[in-house]
Amino acid sequence: MNDAILSIRGLRKSFGPTEIMRGVDLELRGAERHALIGPNGAGKSTLFHLISGHLAPSAGEIRFEGQQIAGRTPQAINRLGLARSFQITNIFPKLTVFENIRLAVMRLHGLQYNFWTFIDRDRGIREQTERLLELVRLQARAATVAGEMAYSEQRSLEIAMTLASDPKVILLDEPMAGMSTEETHYTAQLIREVTQGRALMIVEHDMDVVFSLSDRISVLVYGQVIATGTPEEIRGNAAVKEAYLGEEVAP
Amino acid sequence: MRPAIVSLRALALAATGAALLAALPFLLTQGLLNAAIQMLIAALFASAYNLLCGQAGMLSFGHAAYFGVGAFGTVHAMNAVGGAGLLPTPLLPLAGAACGLVFGAIAGWFATQRSGTYFAMITLAIAELVHSLAPHLKGLFGGEAGVSTMRMPAWGLDFGSTLQVYYLTLAWVLVSVGLLYLYTRTPLGRLTFGLRENSHRLRFLGYNVHGLGMLVFALSAMFAGIAGSLQVVSNESANYVVFDPALSAAVVLNTYIGGVKVFLGPALGAALMTFFGYAVSDLTQSWLLYQGILFVLVMMFMPSGLAGLGGTTARLRQRFDLARIVPLVALSVGAALLLSLGGTFAIEMLQRVFSQDYRAMARLQPAGAWPPLQFLGRAWLPAAFATWAVPAALLASGAWLAHLARQRLRALADAESASAAGANAHPSTRLAAHPGGTA
Repeated sequence: MNDAILSIRGLRKSFGPTEIMRGVDLELRGAERHALIGPNGAGKSTLFHLISGHLAPSAGEIRFEGQQIAGRTPQAINRLGLARSFQITNIFPKLTVFENIRLAVMRLHGLQYNFWTFIDRDRGIREQTERLLELVRLQARAATVAGEMAYSEQRSLEIAMTLASDPKVILLDEPMAGMSTEETHYTAQLIREVTQGRALMIVEHDMDVVFSLSDRISVLVYGQVIATGTPEEIRGNAAVKEAYLGEEVAP
Repeated sequence: MRPAIVSLRALALAATGAALLAALPFLLTQGLLNAAIQMLIAALFASAYNLLCGQAGMLSFGHAAYFGVGAFGTVHAMNAVGGAGLLPTPLLPLAGAACGLVFGAIAGWFATQRSGTYFAMITLAIAELVHSLAPHLKGLFGGEAGVSTMRMPAWGLDFGSTLQVYYLTLAWVLVSVGLLYLYTRTPLGRLTFGLRENSHRLRFLGYNVHGLGMLVFALSAMFAGIAGSLQVVSNESANYVVFDPALSAAVVLNTYIGGVKVFLGPALGAALMTFFGYAVSDLTQSWLLYQGILFVLVMMFMPSGLAGLGGTTARLRQRFDLARIVPLVALSVGAALLLSLGGTFAIEMLQRVFSQDYRAMARLQPAGAWPPLQFLGRAWLPAAFATWAVPAALLASGAWLAHLARQRLRALADAESASAAGANAHPSTRLAAHPGGTA
């Protein structure tokens, strides 16, 4: 029965006496789009930090394709095929947009300690970088210094960088924050396309996006998953209505 | 077609520069040629340092350690095999490079465990460790007398003259700086900028940030080792004073005065400061004070360093036509000149008034009398108003010119934003925009 690519059991995280994660159980299936919703302070970002290796859990297990990854380094987890974006834009602000994406692409080609070839001469990397630029509609901005772009453009860049490693699992932390309606629409469509055949876990506050994009939704409240199910199931769930959505949100 | 790694224009400039440096011995006296060797070595050391500091964003306060390790590695390589040398003389810097690389990898493994202030403190501690250990290890570092050696003839050259040493140094510096430039075009070179900008993000892109940092550190130490090696080849001796913190400080100052954002900035800064040190140290006893003042002024008024001046001028030219910039530049240069003349005058007078010689002389005088001072071929009375009126007038007129230059710049900017307001341009952001990280 277990087709989960990422499975989390009894995950706990405390900061001093404060327990942020209070026994989270969650499964991400191989090719599903899974949204994580919950009120502010529920621990959504902390959960992302634990999965991606930014933080080590206090207890519990995180399995990626059956392998325990809890407490491993971010780079080790990334190399297994899990990439993430950040809630607060996390790019190389003084480098060009092209350079930002190229740095992300290089890793997949095994280029790290290489100082004997010239990067500009690597056609494969250049083409893949240009493909990603086109995908997130930033071709015209290739030579722009990333930190000087509009906030929503930086969010798009962040998505391109996350996709660069061709990951099996993508974690997106509020990718549409600060975007206009048109940009949100485009980005939602983009996420739908690029996550075809991959697993996506997304934290997002725009409920239209959440309900139209996701195959399943989990609701996180005070460090515990109180419900997981299809959008319809979540809409009809009484506990969720009470804890989070409120009557007026659910149609 | 393969994309060009170095543009034709840059290549032409580099070739011209190399040709000029190669022609230098025909224009210089023996003494100046010796100074030129020191300038080249300092330029390479600063370029090596900037790989770590400017490109990777890791501020090391102890780079003298790697320079010194390269120096001692070389002196022992020269004395090995009964004085015949481990390597032929022209290849000796390889010994310095190897020692710098190995020691840099070890020290870098520790230092790059942390970043920012903690990294700086670890580099400082490692340098201090070597500095305090060196006098005790007489076998290795030769005690106070140091270790001396001889350059051996090789490849049909005797390396007996300054001229031959100059060309050997020049060749190694050009090749090393060239390699350091090409390095910036490699995957690791691009990741080095990534380390500076956001090492946290690199980690989540799958990179081993500690491994990268350690490798950059080791490479920087390797080139510093080559610089140390060249100094030993030139001096035919090595002394543990190379581990002195003053050398670590000098390379930081030179690098920043030159400008960390431009590839050749640190080399330029180091060459200029070494030259000034050479030229001025005979004229004044306050050279270190001037060096410090210069550093503070550069950091306050042009944080992008001397090399940043080129960029600023280019941006001004882009915005305004030449006819309006020339008076501005003339005013600024005039202000700088008057201010430095006034400042130098005041410092030199004060230095003489407070010197021990003068104090002793003053004590011999009847009470309250201040004997005249010799300065610039004239006698000045320290107690006379006229004496201090000279620097005061220089400083005041310099400040006036600086004020005028400022006003003019503001008027230009206002005029531009007024005319561009309709076109919806943002001159202020364009002025602030400083594209870094591409050098």
